[in-house]
Amino acid sequence: MISILRSLWLVFRHLFTRRVTVEYPEEMPYLAPRYRGRIVLTRDPDGDERCVACNLCAVACPPDCISLQKMEDADGRWRPEFFRINFSRCIMCGLCEDACPTYAIQLTPDFEMCEYDRQNMVYEKEDLLINGPGKYHEYSFYRHAGKTVSGKAKGEAAGEAKPVNVKSLNL
Amino acid sequence: MLKAGNAQAMATITIDNRQYEVDDGQNLLSACLSLKKNLPYFCWHPALGSVGACRQCAVVLFKDADDQRGTLVMSCMTPVKDGAIYSIDAPTAQDFRAGIIENLMTNHPHDCPVCEEGGECHLQDMTLMSGHTQRRFQGRKRTHNNQYLGPFINHEMNRCITCYRCVRFYRDHAGGTDLQALGRNHQVYFGRQEDGLLDNGFSGNLVEVCPTGVFTDKTYSRHYVRKWDLQTAPSVCEHCAVGCNTAPGARRDGKGDPRQLRRVTNLFHRQINGYFLCDRGRFGYEYANSAARIYTPQAALTQPLIQTTAGSAKVHQSLSPADAVARLAVTIAQMRSGNRRVIGIGSSRSSLENNFALQTLVGREHFYAGLDERSLALLKLVDRIQRDPRVHSPGTPEIERADMVIVLGEDIADTAPRIALAVRQAARSAQIARAGELKIPAWQDDSVRQLTGIRTPLLVASAERTDLDDIASCRVRAAPEQMVALADVLAQALTAESGEIHAPDIAGLDTGEFTALVEQLKQARHPVIVSGCGLQSQELLQAAARLAFAVAGHKEANHRQTDSREARAALYLACPEANSLGLAQLCDARQNLNQLHRERQSEHTPQPTTLLVMEADLYRQLPASVADQLCAGVDEIIQLEIVHNRTSARADLILPAAATPEYEGTLVNSGGLAQRHYAVYEGSGWIQASWRWLADAAAASGELAGAELSGDEETHARLQSLARWRHVTQLSVALAESYPELAPLAELGPDWDQTIEGQKTARQPHRYSGRTAIQAERQVAEYKPLPDDDAPMAFSMEGIQFACQSPLQANNWAPGWNSNQAIHCYQPKPGAARLGHSSGQPLARKAVVFHSDSAAGDAARPTADPSDGFRILPLYRMFGSGELSNYAGAIASVTEEPFAVFHPQDLELLSLTAGQQIAITESGDRWQLLAKVSDTIPRHCIGVSTGFTQMASIPGAYIEREQIAPGDA
Repeated sequence: MISILRSLWLVFRHLFTRRVTVEYPEEMPYLAPRYRGRIVLTRDPDGDERCVACNLCAVACPPDCISLQKMEDADGRWRPEFFRINFSRCIMCGLCEDACPTYAIQLTPDFEMCEYDRQNMVYEKEDLLINGPGKYHEYSFYRHAGKTVSGKAKGEAAGEAKPVNVKSLNL
Repeated sequence: MLKAGNAQAMATITIDNRQYEVDDGQNLLSACLSLKKNLPYFCWHPALGSVGACRQCAVVLFKDADDQRGTLVMSCMTPVKDGAIYSIDAPTAQDFRAGIIENLMTNHPHDCPVCEEGGECHLQDMTLMSGHTQRRFQGRKRTHNNQYLGPFINHEMNRCITCYRCVRFYRDHAGGTDLQALGRNHQVYFGRQEDGLLDNGFSGNLVEVCPTGVFTDKTYSRHYVRKWDLQTAPSVCEHCAVGCNTAPGARRDGKGDPRQLRRVTNLFHRQINGYFLCDRGRFGYEYANSAARIYTPQAALTQPLIQTTAGSAKVHQSLSPADAVARLAVTIAQMRSGNRRVIGIGSSRSSLENNFALQTLVGREHFYAGLDERSLALLKLVDRIQRDPRVHSPGTPEIERADMVIVLGEDIADTAPRIALAVRQAARSAQIARAGELKIPAWQDDSVRQLTGIRTPLLVASAERTDLDDIASCRVRAAPEQMVALADVLAQALTAESGEIHAPDIAGLDTGEFTALVEQLKQARHPVIVSGCGLQSQELLQAAARLAFAVAGHKEANHRQTDSREARAALYLACPEANSLGLAQLCDARQNLNQLHRERQSEHTPQPTTLLVMEADLYRQLPASVADQLCAGVDEIIQLEIVHNRTSARADLILPAAATPEYEGTLVNSGGLAQRHYAVYEGSGWIQASWRWLADAAAASGELAGAELSGDEETHARLQSLARWRHVTQLSVALAESYPELAPLAELGPDWDQTIEGQKTARQPHRYSGRTAIQAERQVAEYKPLPDDDAPMAFSMEGIQFACQSPLQANNWAPGWNSNQAIHCYQPKPGAARLGHSSGQPLARKAVVFHSDSAAGDAARPTADPSDGFRILPLYRMFGSGELSNYAGAIASVTEEPFAVFHPQDLELLSLTAGQQIAITESGDRWQLLAKVSDTIPRHCIGVSTGFTQMASIPGAYIEREQIAPGDA
């Protein structure tokens, strides 16, 4: 009896506390830039795709919902031939972003992904790729890595010396 | 691989205050790895020995129990010593190793995400193991330009850590000359003098030998996925008869591309391939992905076509598998009711089970080997010789230890490359033996190699120059007849008590050399004789056998070997195809294509006849005119085939057969070892194993013929048993029951339901990625993995993951060891047989003493005057002579065009010039070849490229001068 009254009293008291909930979607909640929502693929400062199809996001993914295929373009860059995220399986854990060595894959503060058909939750590269660098503005993987790509020969990456001429004496 | 000393004495050593019993005579690194210690290393390789170049494997050696400081030693250069005290974990050793790796990494390009080695990189593993995580070096990185090394190998020199493994393998082990260490100090460069194809046939092993990503597989890179995304299963190489074990890797494509096979890597098998594969085996896999691949059943259009350019070829269109089975079933039903004759043509590149299913379907009397008369006779002869109790087929380690090798006629560098690599090691066995006398352990590679000038006697008798010439102590270039004479004189010299033995009359072999040869053969305790079917000479095989018998007799008489096994002579006879010897067990010498052709020609009964060709190209075995007649003489051709060829172009019905990595079956290698290969992946399209098509059709025909049970009882029983088979192991058991020689097949491997503690073996590693996304484009719900009806293995990540627990596991991985170097975790000690034991059982052939059979000789020279006619000498190429590997893109890009090699004087005699197209005509058939000149080929002989794409070999052994004419430009 006392416990029922106590419960009634507690519920009654809550009528006068401040509401925590907001009238979503009329009122949008604030989400920090590092919120873990919908995944995007970003571009480097030069506008090239950042993803080099290294497969680290795919292997880090706990529900195995990322799949891609490496291809090599005429410019010597590795790119994903296709890049697919099955968002109906994604748990927004952000391990893919952690694993990404090129800042290509990033999570965004957008969580509004509702579909009537689960098949529509499968995002391809065209759906994922955005026209900007995302949270990391400066980084470009190929400026640092020693692999030759068009526009950057051997010895032109950050911290590299000019290539050695093996046939010279090199004293 | 090197013997780590003969002494099996044990030593007790202390490592980090724990005592261990290890084999004495090995080095400390090898001992530590045997104990599954995580000790980083780079330059050491179990097959290459130690040189102490990288300084990465440093440990601390203490003088005695009171010594607290100890001294740093390189474990790979330190022999284990009984009672010695070592420490791997001592801070001095750890700091030293961390310092070394930090130095090695100063010039590393930091491109792991775009490196094909990433994820299976020994450098990554060792960096992590040594604890180097932070780059402190502030200076600039030294860089190198890369080289073009051909279509197989990609070069990225900046990833190099100068461990020298590549040149030690390529030059010292495989005998290559064009890869060198160039430059000096910290600018050392591993490459060629100029861009170009690496010309050694084992260059592909650089991919596995290199601990970093300097040399990577270019064909793999085109459809690259990480190692953890590959599903693997143990397989056997289908590109020659050596039977190397392979670990093909496959992954389904996310866009629905039917090409799934991604690469082939070595799967360690102590008795066969050890750590190395040849390039045909490694890069030949692409045939399974080629444009000529058959994925769906196809039927020839029956409407007459107006004005086609197809000639005798038919125009095909796809049909559903059910319709295809129904069509085959109609043929079988007609055969049941006695209205149709079905002739089955088996294959020497397909499994025993497939051939047996075909034989069961058509009956033994209608089963023919897909080989011409000569090839089958050679195989039957090899089989008979190998049954003799005086000889045995040596495994690779035995060949490597041989103290004399005689290669008779077979160009093993091109027909059985892995054996040639073993012979190359045998050339050093005398050096290693001498080192042993000087108390230098065999693994002290550099020290052993200081003993220059000591070579194992090696006689190479060949038709043309071979890749073994550089290590041969005696080279003979001769026609097979002269080799026969040489072998017989050698045999005579061994058996004769006394008396004059005269050197045979062979150009280039003087009496002194010959006497030395005889003396060496008499001294040799473990000689190995190598020959094979390559020269297509039965007399040569018989002579090799006679020589082997003489060696066995000599061994017994002179060396008093008590062990009867030891007294047997080692005779390796190379066969042409992966299952040549298996097919030879299923049929007798009469069941060949020429015989079939003759029977068809002489027969005039109007009975409808079907030619059921399984994985064989008639136009590769028979001259085109004969194959044409054979095809035209039947009213239906049904073919089970992997890739389109000239036979399938004439087929009325084509059924897509599984390639070796797509089904489970048994292959018998040249040594008579039956080995099972497992399905690596599910296959694409409507591909299934040939025997399944036949079983399906047999079942369907049973329903068709259900009402009218005419036909004979025996046929019904046969077809019923065929229709009942569900698992390939049932066929193996049936084979074992039908053929006493094949009895071991029943014991070969686990049945499909023989799980380990209720678990199947996983084909996919535990890190396999993309499971819920890879097929989501078409269907977001995940497909259930396909069941495997043949082996207790799953096409998924579920099940047993670790190699030591299951012999079915092919994926080399252990915690901390992501690269293929992880194999040592699954060996009792590096270089020893795998713990999960490789499959393989020798055939149970009854020992029958072999008697030379003069009736089964070769065709005699038609004219007495040798200047009139020419002896045809078949020549082989690693790239070009493999039927399936010729479909592989990278291999096709470096294959020569078919050629004929002449002696310069012969070329002059015929008024031809080198580089000109010539035509050889023989009984209505024409071979167009590129004339080449070589002064190493014997006079009055023509070396003709053999086994090249869709080209049958010339049937005769001799041709007349008139048969050679200039060809079309």
